[in-house]
Amino acid sequence: MTYDASTRRDGQTIGRKTADRTFWGRLSSWGPYHALMRLVTASPRRQFLILAALPVLWVLTQHLGPMLQMLRVSLTDAYPVAPGVEQSFTFDNYMRFFGDSIFWMPFFRTLTFAAVFTFCTLIITYPVAYFLARHVSRRNQMLMLLLLLIPFWVGEIVRTYAIMILLGNTGAVNLVLRFFGLIDRPIPFMYTSFSMGVGIVYLTALYMLLPLYSALEKLPKSLNEAAADLGAGAWTRFRRVTLPMTIEGISSGCTLVFLISTGFYATPVLLGGPSTTVFAETIAGFFHVAGDQWPTGAAFATIMFLAALIITGAFQKLMNMLRKGDTK
Amino acid sequence: MNRGNRIFLSCFYWAFVLYVFVPLLLMVLMGFKDSNFIGFPIRSWTLDWYTGVFNDAEVLSTFGYSIAIAVLSTLVSVFVGTWIAVLLQGRSFLGRTAIFGLTVLPALVPGIISAIAFRIYARWLGIEPGMGAIVWAHAVHNVPFVALVVMARLSTLPKSQIEAARDLGADPFIAFSRITLPYLVPAILGASIFCLLLSFDDFVRSFFLGGYEPTLPVLIFAKLRSGMSPEINAIATVALILTAVIGIWAERFTRRANKESDA
Repeated sequence: MTYDASTRRDGQTIGRKTADRTFWGRLSSWGPYHALMRLVTASPRRQFLILAALPVLWVLTQHLGPMLQMLRVSLTDAYPVAPGVEQSFTFDNYMRFFGDSIFWMPFFRTLTFAAVFTFCTLIITYPVAYFLARHVSRRNQMLMLLLLLIPFWVGEIVRTYAIMILLGNTGAVNLVLRFFGLIDRPIPFMYTSFSMGVGIVYLTALYMLLPLYSALEKLPKSLNEAAADLGAGAWTRFRRVTLPMTIEGISSGCTLVFLISTGFYATPVLLGGPSTTVFAETIAGFFHVAGDQWPTGAAFATIMFLAALIITGAFQKLMNMLRKGDTK
Repeated sequence: MNRGNRIFLSCFYWAFVLYVFVPLLLMVLMGFKDSNFIGFPIRSWTLDWYTGVFNDAEVLSTFGYSIAIAVLSTLVSVFVGTWIAVLLQGRSFLGRTAIFGLTVLPALVPGIISAIAFRIYARWLGIEPGMGAIVWAHAVHNVPFVALVVMARLSTLPKSQIEAARDLGADPFIAFSRITLPYLVPAILGASIFCLLLSFDDFVRSFFLGGYEPTLPVLIFAKLRSGMSPEINAIATVALILTAVIGIWAERFTRRANKESDA
């Protein structure tokens, strides 16, 4: 309970009366509110149900709902249903996927690209995270991490465009190479899987860096010292101590980056070329064309989601097994 | 050996810093080029592209549109996300794991798939493509981030304070409003800024759920497809400065707020 200045001056009027003059005091002694609160808190069970109602309803209708609706549409032959036409259940949309290589080629390309880019991101960010967590003082750690965070607040499109300027035929990289006389004519970096890779690694690096950093930061230095005392060389220490202890960070970072990379649409459109069409572009195609192809698009999106879940699930299982095997 | 390692890693770190900063710096520079043609070297300079951004009514209204969407969707995300966090943190009940799993689901669905699912669901709900649909999709997509950040903060709330308030006669709602909520403020603000940036930067959901009026990333994308021009650099740079300034401010603010409430 708080006393305001006026009551302190007249000295005596403290306690209940003062409390009642505050907003909260007035609220709790206001009839309708009081009645409502009594109703709500009549039993712990009722109180819990009222607290749980909105979250449960929200996650079911807003989080799960869209996914289920996508699945349902993928199993129908027409959506949205034209008036007077009967909608019927079918697997045809899924069958279409296996029927034509212009569908499954981008699918496997996307998964391969995502896996390769995830691996590249891991290789690039691990030393950075390691350096920050092990070789930098506490104070500077936050500053140097913040420095890396700044570019990641900038959006996907803006950063993709930045990569286009970097790698173009008249871009900065070609300019520098030509300046040093290493090349006579510009190297066509753009519209290849290379430019796409540079872009996607650029966009996802942070999601790898942060889990790795927090795993490495938690790792006690004494473990490495103990290993060194027992005669382990630098490489052995890294392979037998640091790596197994940070496998959790590697696993969650890779999962995140893999899922994110499979979902990019604008970046492959802008940085890739005809030979690097990814599945996101295939899926999007069904929602752009005038003809009604939504069920097929929904089926392809479902295939993609299931594949991504199975791969990341299997990957996490594998990582768990590796960790358990190593600590035994 | 250790010293050599250190130097190598330090070089690697700074090379990485260059990798993340140089593309953006080049993009900013290119906005000053006095030519319609994107590419190096830059021989003459101009401010026209930048002044052009502030004189272009279409671009300015797109900025406003994107900011409005970001603010509205953030309000919804923060309200729902905080509520979910309060339900999940420190309680065990039947189905808690399922609710938690469903809470983080939107954050794990790859971008294109989430956009498609929202598009189909919006059609089913009867939401027309446009501002309402984008706000809704952004709000749903950002709820997991709010819930996770607020849950982390809630886990450090001293329970004795709530108990004391209840002992002194506060009902659950007042105890929440006067003890829990003030304690959560730094987390809620941090999460809000994060949601604002996510929404402002989002392309794929805005693209598939948008009507005729583009959000800023969609406008830049559309302009890029019809050819690169320093005009795009100027627009993107203004967006970049906006997001970076908000991000840095939020980072400093939440750190200070955390320090104050820890002390």
